Amino acid sequence: MAAIRTRDLTKRYGDVVAVESLSLTVDDGECYGFLGPNGAGKSTTINVLTGQLAPDGGSARVADVDPIARPIDTRARVGILPESGRPPSFLTAREYFEFAAATRGMDDDRLEPRIRTWADRLAFAEKLDTLCTDLSQGERQKVLIAQAFIHEPRVVFIDEPLTNLDPIIQERIKRFFERYRRDGNTLFLSTHFVETAAEVCTQIGIVSRGRLLEELRPRGMDGDALLERFFEVVGREDEPELKRR
Amino acid sequence: MTLTNRRLLWLLAVEEYRSHARLFGGRRFALFPAFVALVAAASATFFALAATDTGTIVAGLHAVVAVLGLQVGTVGLEGRDALEDLFGERTLLLFASWTLPIEPKRVLVAFLLKDVLYYGVLFLLPLSVGLVPLAVLGELSVVELPLVFLTTAATFALGVAASVALVGVYVRSRLVALGIVGTVAVAIALAGQNVLAITPYGLLEAPRTAAVVGTVALPLVFGTIGVALFEFDRDDPDRTAVDRFGALSARFGSYDSHGIAAKSLLDVARSSGGLWKAVFSQGLVFIVIVMLLAALPDVVRIRPSPGLTIAAVLALGSFTAYNWLCQFDDSRFYARYPVSHEAVFRGKLLAFSLLNLPIGVSYLAAGTALFGSETILLGVAVFPPLSLYVFGITVYFAGLRPSELLFDTPVFAAFTAATMLVLLPIVVAAIAIPLAPTAIGAGSVALAGVAGAVGYVLYRRAGERWERRSRSGNYRSSP
Repeated sequence: MAAIRTRDLTKRYGDVVAVESLSLTVDDGECYGFLGPNGAGKSTTINVLTGQLAPDGGSARVADVDPIARPIDTRARVGILPESGRPPSFLTAREYFEFAAATRGMDDDRLEPRIRTWADRLAFAEKLDTLCTDLSQGERQKVLIAQAFIHEPRVVFIDEPLTNLDPIIQERIKRFFERYRRDGNTLFLSTHFVETAAEVCTQIGIVSRGRLLEELRPRGMDGDALLERFFEVVGREDEPELKRR
Repeated sequence: MTLTNRRLLWLLAVEEYRSHARLFGGRRFALFPAFVALVAAASATFFALAATDTGTIVAGLHAVVAVLGLQVGTVGLEGRDALEDLFGERTLLLFASWTLPIEPKRVLVAFLLKDVLYYGVLFLLPLSVGLVPLAVLGELSVVELPLVFLTTAATFALGVAASVALVGVYVRSRLVALGIVGTVAVAIALAGQNVLAITPYGLLEAPRTAAVVGTVALPLVFGTIGVALFEFDRDDPDRTAVDRFGALSARFGSYDSHGIAAKSLLDVARSSGGLWKAVFSQGLVFIVIVMLLAALPDVVRIRPSPGLTIAAVLALGSFTAYNWLCQFDDSRFYARYPVSHEAVFRGKLLAFSLLNLPIGVSYLAAGTALFGSETILLGVAVFPPLSLYVFGITVYFAGLRPSELLFDTPVFAAFTAATMLVLLPIVVAAIAIPLAPTAIGAGSVALAGVAGAVGYVLYRRAGERWERRSRSGNYRSSP
């Protein structure tokens, strides 16, 4: 069953086409890597699929909801980890989770054990009562990751998840992604880190200049092989050093 | 190459210009002084044709400029927290002292000077140019216009410096700050004319030595105190807090089911200056108005109703309360949750009411001690609906970015026109009230009521308007 489906999705900013006729299908239980260089339209695609932006054309369906017609319902059903963003400065991490839960009408009884689980998983239990503005970059990223999953959504959109995190936490997150996916949930992961995509994703879409150029299953591919494929698809001529290799 | 003070000042000014020009477009931003001059000229002409004394117009101009300076100086209240949140991503120069070997206080002095110069060019010069119709009508000599510009610029600098100094005292001892404010208020009430004589306004009235010394020395003394007392670093870099969000949100019930009001109030309460910064900034407005109301009978014949005057100006100042509530917000932040703009604005209105109304009503109550209870009751009656009006037009025009409204010419024009449409008749009513107290009083309450209703309608419409803009990817304020 498709968790995410788009048909000819297009988004323009003035004369710039950020997303061009994007058609893709992501089934339940997949981790879909949206791989592309900076400015490829990855974040815009996530913003459209989560109802944050209205597209200029095309259709979409996410977790059985149309994000174009029903953006609030869509965001109630999904989790979002933004690429650039930070937790609200003057709430503590715990209060931020309460805020995120309140927006989805989650009750406190369900929330508290999940806060504990995530604080243990990402090792920030001692920071739960610290104001978010005083957290380090890495701690903020941990809190942002946790809030995206705290309501255990069926679909989670993740933009550059491993930024600012130490290798131990990165490994824990990758393992969690794998478990979460195996439980039948769907992850839509936008990144320009090829190795991360090769390691975590079950399906990859290579995107450049707003267009989906190729979809592939990276099973058995290592980071270098995927990088080779990425440059072949996106354009090796822009990377003279790689060309020499 | 060394970074001279002049170059630092120039770089800050260039950065400020580019930041605004990029936000609003160079042409829209460049139109701003022209618009201010136009509004000032229209207002001066209106008052002159209404046979208002020229001295009153010029005094009013200085009062407005003093309030503006005091408000700009409250940037000190925001401290490092807001500087990081407000400017952190936008101005690298302000944060140069954290990353480069530049003395932080040197950057602060340059920043304040830049603000004075900036406002001088964008506001004060156009305001003085706006008095040209008075010269055409023969009410004011042309040669006095440059002097008015100088005295308004000095008044603005005095306001900024006094505010920064008071903030410096305030963050160390609220009691001492309150004592200073009380002493100044009493001095003004008892000898308003003598106090004014040592300010830049006194220089315009009668260029005595005391006025010259006061004009030059007071901004320098206050500015030095303010910079010396400014705190750059937090006492505790790892602040914790007891969980208040849940309880606060639960208390607001279904009206704030998403916790927007709770979050906004906690933002204000926990950022530098706390909830007191809202009390403080409205307090500055209150003091200037009290000063004007106390000193006015010595200068001109009119005696405006204190209640209506204070209520109208405090209602306009309530814009600041909304600004505090949005300072740590971002429309993109809310867009990641199942929360509509309508719900966000509903939470903001609740937070705005809880923050703004008690402060305004308290100052009106304090006014009772000075001006008697009769007209102040009228002020209490008009303040809430007028505040709702100001909230409504701000939310409608500027969404969650009220601070941007001030420098985006078309939006500022729309905001000014909407404000004048209601507040000007209230001020006129305040002046005319002795002619027919009951009728004019009732008319003022009715007008405020209608304005409040209009504000409510605009607030209701703002949700859909900003939702549409947010989803189109163009979250820019517009009339």
